[in-house]
Amino acid sequence: MIKTAEGQPSAVFHIFNITIFFGNSMDSTQPAKTIYIHRNQRVHVPDGYLAVGRVIGVHGLRGEVKVELHTDFPERFQPGLQLFLGEALQPVSIRQARPHKGHMLILFDAYHSRSAVENMRNTWLFVHEDHAIELSEDEYWVHDIVGLAVYTDDGQHLGQVADVLATGANDVYIVEPVGLINKGREILLPAIAEVIQQVDLAAGRLIVKLPEGILD
Amino acid sequence: MSRSMKKGPYVQPKLLRRVEEMNRSGERKVIRTWSRASTIFPQFVGHTMAIHDGRRHVPIYITENMVGHKLGEFAPTRFFRGHVRSEKSTRAR
Repeated sequence: MIKTAEGQPSAVFHIFNITIFFGNSMDSTQPAKTIYIHRNQRVHVPDGYLAVGRVIGVHGLRGEVKVELHTDFPERFQPGLQLFLGEALQPVSIRQARPHKGHMLILFDAYHSRSAVENMRNTWLFVHEDHAIELSEDEYWVHDIVGLAVYTDDGQHLGQVADVLATGANDVYIVEPVGLINKGREILLPAIAEVIQQVDLAAGRLIVKLPEGILD
Repeated sequence: MSRSMKKGPYVQPKLLRRVEEMNRSGERKVIRTWSRASTIFPQFVGHTMAIHDGRRHVPIYITENMVGHKLGEFAPTRFFRGHVRSEKSTRAR
Protein backbone atom coordinates (compact mmCIF):
# COMPACT_ATOMS: atom_id res chain seq x y z
CA MET A 1 0.00 0.00 0.00
CA ILE A 2 1.42 3.39 -0.95
CA LYS A 3 -0.15 6.41 0.66
CA THR A 4 0.44 10.05 -0.08
CA ALA A 5 -1.24 12.17 2.56
CA GLU A 6 -0.64 15.89 3.10
CA GLY A 7 2.14 15.86 0.54
CA GLN A 8 4.24 13.47 2.63
CA PRO A 9 4.86 10.25 0.79
CA SER A 10 4.90 7.19 2.96
CA ALA A 11 5.05 3.57 2.01
CA VAL A 12 3.32 0.69 3.75
CA PHE A 13 3.30 -2.46 1.70
CA HIS A 14 0.24 -4.56 1.46
CA ILE A 15 -0.35 -7.73 -0.51
CA PHE A 16 -2.23 -6.72 -3.63
CA ASN A 17 -3.50 -3.21 -3.40
CA ILE A 18 -2.21 0.29 -3.31
CA THR A 19 -4.05 3.20 -1.73
CA ILE A 20 -3.46 6.73 -2.89
CA PHE A 21 -4.97 9.77 -1.22
CA PHE A 22 -5.22 12.57 -3.73
CA GLY A 23 -4.73 16.22 -2.84
CA ASN A 24 -3.02 17.78 0.12
CA SER A 25 -5.42 16.86 2.85
CA MET A 26 -7.70 14.03 3.80
CA ASP A 27 -10.79 16.26 3.59
CA SER A 28 -10.40 16.71 -0.16
CA THR A 29 -13.69 16.55 -2.07
CA GLN A 30 -12.28 13.83 -4.29
CA PRO A 31 -12.58 10.43 -2.62
CA ALA A 32 -9.44 8.47 -1.88
CA LYS A 33 -8.92 5.59 -4.26
CA THR A 34 -7.53 2.14 -3.81
CA ILE A 35 -5.65 0.70 -6.74
CA TYR A 36 -5.88 -3.01 -7.40
CA ILE A 37 -4.19 -5.02 -10.09
CA HIS A 38 -6.71 -7.02 -12.11
CA ARG A 39 -5.59 -8.98 -15.17
CA ASN A 40 -2.40 -6.91 -15.30
CA GLN A 41 -4.38 -3.68 -15.37
CA ARG A 42 -4.71 -1.11 -12.65
CA VAL A 43 -8.19 -0.72 -11.25
CA HIS A 44 -9.00 2.36 -9.20
CA VAL A 45 -11.71 1.62 -6.66
CA PRO A 46 -12.92 4.80 -4.93
CA ASP A 47 -13.15 4.40 -1.17
CA GLY A 48 -16.69 3.78 -0.04
CA TYR A 49 -17.60 1.97 -3.25
CA LEU A 50 -17.61 -1.67 -4.29
CA ALA A 51 -17.05 -3.02 -7.78
CA VAL A 52 -19.96 -5.08 -9.09
CA GLY A 53 -18.94 -5.56 -12.70
CA ARG A 54 -16.74 -4.63 -15.61
CA VAL A 55 -17.89 -3.76 -19.11
CA ILE A 56 -16.13 -6.19 -21.41
CA GLY A 57 -17.87 -5.39 -24.65
CA VAL A 58 -20.95 -4.26 -26.45
CA HIS A 59 -23.80 -6.40 -27.74
CA GLY A 60 -26.07 -5.65 -30.65
CA LEU A 61 -27.01 -2.25 -31.99
CA ARG A 62 -29.32 -0.98 -29.26
CA GLY A 63 -26.58 0.04 -26.83
CA GLU A 64 -26.44 -3.06 -24.65
CA VAL A 65 -23.15 -3.70 -22.88
CA LYS A 66 -21.77 -7.06 -21.85
CA VAL A 67 -20.79 -7.00 -18.17
CA GLU A 68 -18.43 -9.41 -16.41
CA LEU A 69 -19.84 -9.99 -12.94
CA HIS A 70 -17.84 -9.11 -9.84
CA THR A 71 -20.65 -9.73 -7.39
CA ASP A 72 -22.12 -12.83 -5.80
CA PHE A 73 -25.56 -11.33 -6.33
CA PRO A 74 -26.31 -11.04 -10.08
CA GLU A 75 -29.96 -10.50 -9.19
CA ARG A 76 -29.01 -7.01 -8.02
CA PHE A 77 -28.97 -5.86 -11.68
CA GLN A 78 -32.59 -4.82 -11.84
CA PRO A 79 -34.19 -2.08 -13.96
CA GLY A 80 -34.08 1.20 -12.08
CA LEU A 81 -30.90 0.41 -10.11
CA GLN A 82 -28.35 3.21 -10.11
CA LEU A 83 -24.73 2.28 -10.70
CA PHE A 84 -21.61 4.41 -10.94
CA LEU A 85 -19.56 4.17 -14.09
CA GLY A 86 -15.79 4.32 -14.02
CA GLU A 87 -13.44 6.27 -11.79
CA ALA A 88 -15.42 9.43 -12.46
CA LEU A 89 -18.38 7.74 -10.74
CA GLN A 90 -20.78 8.83 -13.43
CA PRO A 91 -24.27 7.77 -12.29
CA VAL A 92 -26.11 5.52 -14.72
CA SER A 93 -29.47 3.87 -14.38
CA ILE A 94 -30.31 0.38 -15.61
CA ARG A 95 -33.17 0.18 -18.07
CA GLN A 96 -32.91 -3.51 -18.82
CA ALA A 97 -30.69 -6.38 -17.66
CA ARG A 98 -30.58 -10.03 -18.69
CA PRO A 99 -28.16 -12.91 -18.21
CA HIS A 100 -26.24 -14.10 -21.25
CA LYS A 101 -23.57 -16.84 -21.35
CA GLY A 102 -22.30 -16.23 -17.83
CA HIS A 103 -22.35 -12.46 -18.20
CA MET A 104 -25.04 -9.81 -17.98
CA LEU A 105 -26.31 -7.73 -20.87
CA ILE A 106 -27.26 -4.33 -19.56
CA LEU A 107 -29.01 -1.45 -21.25
CA PHE A 108 -28.55 1.92 -19.58
CA ASP A 109 -31.15 4.67 -19.61
CA ALA A 110 -29.07 7.37 -21.24
CA TYR A 111 -27.43 5.27 -23.95
CA HIS A 112 -29.45 4.21 -26.97
CA SER A 113 -26.95 3.12 -29.60
CA ARG A 114 -23.93 0.92 -29.98
CA SER A 115 -21.69 3.89 -30.81
CA ALA A 116 -22.69 5.60 -27.55
CA VAL A 117 -21.40 2.70 -25.45
CA GLU A 118 -18.38 1.66 -27.54
CA ASN A 119 -15.97 3.60 -25.33
CA MET A 120 -17.26 1.93 -22.16
CA ARG A 121 -15.09 -1.16 -22.67
CA ASN A 122 -12.96 -1.97 -19.61
CA THR A 123 -14.93 0.46 -17.50
CA TRP A 124 -15.87 -0.71 -14.02
CA LEU A 125 -19.30 -0.45 -12.47
CA PHE A 126 -19.54 0.45 -8.80
CA VAL A 127 -22.19 0.68 -6.13
CA HIS A 128 -21.96 2.66 -2.94
CA GLU A 129 -21.01 0.52 0.05
CA ASP A 130 -24.20 1.61 1.79
CA HIS A 131 -26.18 -0.03 -1.01
CA ALA A 132 -24.31 -3.32 -0.90
CA ILE A 133 -26.35 -6.47 -0.36
CA GLU A 134 -26.78 -7.32 3.33
CA LEU A 135 -24.81 -10.39 4.33
CA SER A 136 -26.07 -12.98 6.75
CA GLU A 137 -24.33 -13.86 10.00
CA ASP A 138 -20.89 -15.44 9.53
CA GLU A 139 -20.62 -14.03 6.02
CA TYR A 140 -18.01 -11.41 5.28
CA TRP A 141 -16.75 -9.51 2.28
CA VAL A 142 -13.60 -11.04 0.83
CA HIS A 143 -11.85 -7.65 0.93
CA ASP A 144 -12.56 -7.43 4.68
CA ILE A 145 -11.02 -10.85 5.34
CA VAL A 146 -7.91 -10.24 3.23
CA GLY A 147 -5.29 -8.55 5.37
CA LEU A 148 -6.51 -9.85 8.75
CA ALA A 149 -3.84 -11.03 11.16
CA VAL A 150 -4.26 -14.72 11.93
CA TYR A 151 -3.76 -16.04 15.45
CA THR A 152 -4.28 -19.50 16.87
CA ASP A 153 -6.63 -19.96 19.81
CA ASP A 154 -3.58 -20.17 22.10
CA GLY A 155 -2.29 -16.79 20.88
CA GLN A 156 0.38 -17.75 18.36
CA HIS A 157 0.67 -15.32 15.46
CA LEU A 158 0.54 -17.31 12.22
CA GLY A 159 0.55 -14.55 9.61
CA GLN A 160 -1.80 -12.55 7.48
CA VAL A 161 -4.63 -13.57 5.15
CA ALA A 162 -3.31 -13.00 1.63
CA ASP A 163 -6.26 -14.21 -0.41
CA VAL A 164 -9.42 -16.27 -0.41
CA LEU A 165 -9.67 -19.29 -2.67
CA ALA A 166 -13.15 -20.36 -3.81
CA THR A 167 -13.08 -24.11 -4.35
CA GLY A 168 -16.67 -25.08 -5.00
CA ALA A 169 -16.84 -26.59 -1.51
CA ASN A 170 -15.65 -24.52 1.47
CA ASP A 171 -13.62 -21.37 0.87
CA VAL A 172 -9.93 -21.59 1.73
CA TYR A 173 -8.03 -18.74 3.36
CA ILE A 174 -4.46 -18.44 2.19
CA VAL A 175 -2.25 -17.22 5.00
CA GLU A 176 1.15 -15.70 4.36
CA PRO A 177 3.13 -17.01 7.35
CA VAL A 178 5.43 -15.04 9.60
CA GLY A 179 8.92 -16.44 10.03
CA LEU A 180 9.41 -20.12 9.54
CA ILE A 181 5.94 -21.28 10.52
CA ASN A 182 4.94 -24.07 8.11
CA LYS A 183 8.55 -23.93 6.79
CA GLY A 184 7.81 -20.47 5.41
CA ARG A 185 5.18 -21.84 3.02
CA GLU A 186 1.69 -20.40 2.81
CA ILE A 187 -0.86 -21.96 5.15
CA LEU A 188 -4.20 -23.00 3.67
CA LEU A 189 -7.06 -22.90 6.16
CA PRO A 190 -10.53 -24.25 5.34
CA ALA A 191 -13.22 -21.69 6.19
CA ILE A 192 -15.29 -24.03 8.34
CA ALA A 193 -16.67 -23.66 11.86
CA GLU A 194 -14.17 -26.13 13.36
CA VAL A 195 -11.25 -24.01 12.18
CA ILE A 196 -12.42 -20.39 12.14
CA GLN A 197 -13.16 -19.59 15.77
CA GLN A 198 -13.61 -15.83 15.64
CA VAL A 199 -13.51 -13.05 13.08
CA ASP A 200 -12.83 -9.69 14.69
CA LEU A 201 -12.88 -7.11 11.91
CA ALA A 202 -12.57 -4.18 14.32
CA ALA A 203 -9.35 -5.56 15.77
CA GLY A 204 -8.19 -6.95 12.41
CA ARG A 205 -7.85 -10.45 13.84
CA LEU A 206 -8.85 -13.92 12.81
CA ILE A 207 -8.69 -16.55 15.55
CA VAL A 208 -8.30 -20.08 14.26
CA LYS A 209 -7.96 -23.55 15.67
CA LEU A 210 -5.42 -25.47 13.64
CA PRO A 211 -6.66 -28.95 12.83
CA GLU A 212 -4.14 -31.72 13.25
CA GLY A 213 -2.18 -32.33 10.07
CA ILE A 214 -2.81 -28.95 8.42
CA LEU A 215 0.79 -27.75 8.73
CA ASP A 216 3.67 -29.32 6.84
CA MET B 1 -15.70 -44.71 -22.68
CA SER B 2 -17.06 -44.73 -19.16
CA ARG B 3 -15.86 -46.97 -16.37
CA SER B 4 -17.28 -50.47 -16.18
CA MET B 5 -20.18 -50.85 -13.70
CA LYS B 6 -18.72 -54.18 -12.64
CA LYS B 7 -15.68 -52.52 -11.08
CA GLY B 8 -17.61 -49.91 -9.14
CA PRO B 9 -16.37 -46.36 -8.56
CA TYR B 10 -12.62 -45.84 -8.30
CA VAL B 11 -11.03 -44.94 -5.01
CA GLN B 12 -7.38 -45.28 -4.05
CA PRO B 13 -7.40 -48.34 -1.74
CA LYS B 14 -4.91 -46.79 0.67
CA LEU B 15 -7.06 -43.67 1.04
CA LEU B 16 -10.21 -45.64 1.74
CA ARG B 17 -8.34 -47.80 4.24
CA ARG B 18 -7.06 -44.71 6.09
CA VAL B 19 -10.52 -43.16 6.26
CA GLU B 20 -12.08 -46.37 7.52
CA GLU B 21 -9.38 -46.73 10.18
CA MET B 22 -10.05 -43.16 11.33
CA ASN B 23 -13.80 -43.80 11.40
CA ARG B 24 -13.24 -46.87 13.59
CA SER B 25 -10.98 -45.03 16.01
CA GLY B 26 -13.05 -41.80 15.95
CA GLU B 27 -9.92 -39.83 15.14
CA ARG B 28 -10.20 -36.56 13.17
CA LYS B 29 -7.12 -35.48 11.27
CA VAL B 30 -6.52 -33.75 7.95
CA ILE B 31 -5.80 -36.44 5.35
CA ARG B 32 -3.31 -35.47 2.69
CA THR B 33 -3.85 -37.06 -0.68
CA TRP B 34 -2.55 -36.79 -4.20
CA SER B 35 -5.36 -38.97 -5.50
CA ARG B 36 -7.58 -36.44 -7.27
CA ALA B 37 -9.22 -39.25 -9.26
CA SER B 38 -10.66 -40.95 -6.19
CA THR B 39 -14.44 -40.89 -5.90
CA ILE B 40 -15.85 -39.46 -2.67
CA PHE B 41 -17.42 -42.33 -0.73
CA PRO B 42 -20.03 -41.91 2.02
CA GLN B 43 -17.34 -42.91 4.54
CA PHE B 44 -15.46 -39.69 3.73
CA VAL B 45 -18.25 -37.39 4.97
CA GLY B 46 -17.14 -35.26 7.92
CA HIS B 47 -13.42 -35.58 7.18
CA THR B 48 -11.18 -32.78 5.98
CA MET B 49 -9.04 -33.83 3.06
CA ALA B 50 -6.06 -31.88 1.80
CA ILE B 51 -6.22 -32.49 -1.94
CA HIS B 52 -3.19 -31.81 -4.07
CA ASP B 53 -3.66 -29.13 -6.72
CA GLY B 54 -0.30 -29.71 -8.37
CA ARG B 55 1.55 -27.39 -6.02
CA ARG B 56 0.10 -27.67 -2.54
CA HIS B 57 -2.69 -29.39 -0.64
CA VAL B 58 -6.05 -27.62 -0.53
CA PRO B 59 -8.05 -28.52 2.60
CA ILE B 60 -11.63 -29.45 1.78
CA TYR B 61 -14.28 -30.46 4.28
CA ILE B 62 -16.29 -33.32 2.80
CA THR B 63 -20.06 -33.01 3.01
CA GLU B 64 -22.86 -35.34 2.02
CA ASN B 65 -23.69 -33.63 -1.26
CA MET B 66 -20.12 -34.18 -2.50
CA VAL B 67 -20.51 -37.99 -2.46
CA GLY B 68 -20.06 -39.46 -5.93
CA HIS B 69 -17.89 -36.62 -7.19
CA LYS B 70 -14.12 -36.89 -7.58
CA LEU B 71 -11.81 -35.27 -5.02
CA GLY B 72 -10.05 -33.31 -7.75
CA GLU B 73 -13.21 -31.41 -8.59
CA PHE B 74 -12.83 -29.46 -5.36
CA ALA B 75 -9.18 -28.45 -5.64
CA PRO B 76 -8.85 -26.06 -8.59
CA THR B 77 -5.52 -26.24 -10.36
CA ARG B 78 -5.68 -22.68 -11.65
CA PHE B 79 -5.93 -19.92 -9.17
CA PHE B 80 -6.97 -16.40 -10.09
CA ARG B 81 -5.31 -13.81 -7.89
CA GLY B 82 -6.03 -10.12 -7.99
CA HIS B 83 -9.53 -9.59 -6.75
CA VAL B 84 -10.64 -5.97 -6.58
CA ARG B 85 -12.70 -4.68 -3.66
CA SER B 86 -15.97 -6.05 -4.92
CA GLU B 87 -19.24 -7.50 -3.76
CA LYS B 88 -17.75 -10.97 -3.24
CA SER B 89 -18.52 -12.68 0.02
CA THR B 90 -17.11 -15.58 1.98
CA ARG B 91 -18.70 -17.71 4.65
CA ALA B 92 -16.19 -17.79 7.45
CA ARG B 93 -17.72 -20.39 9.73
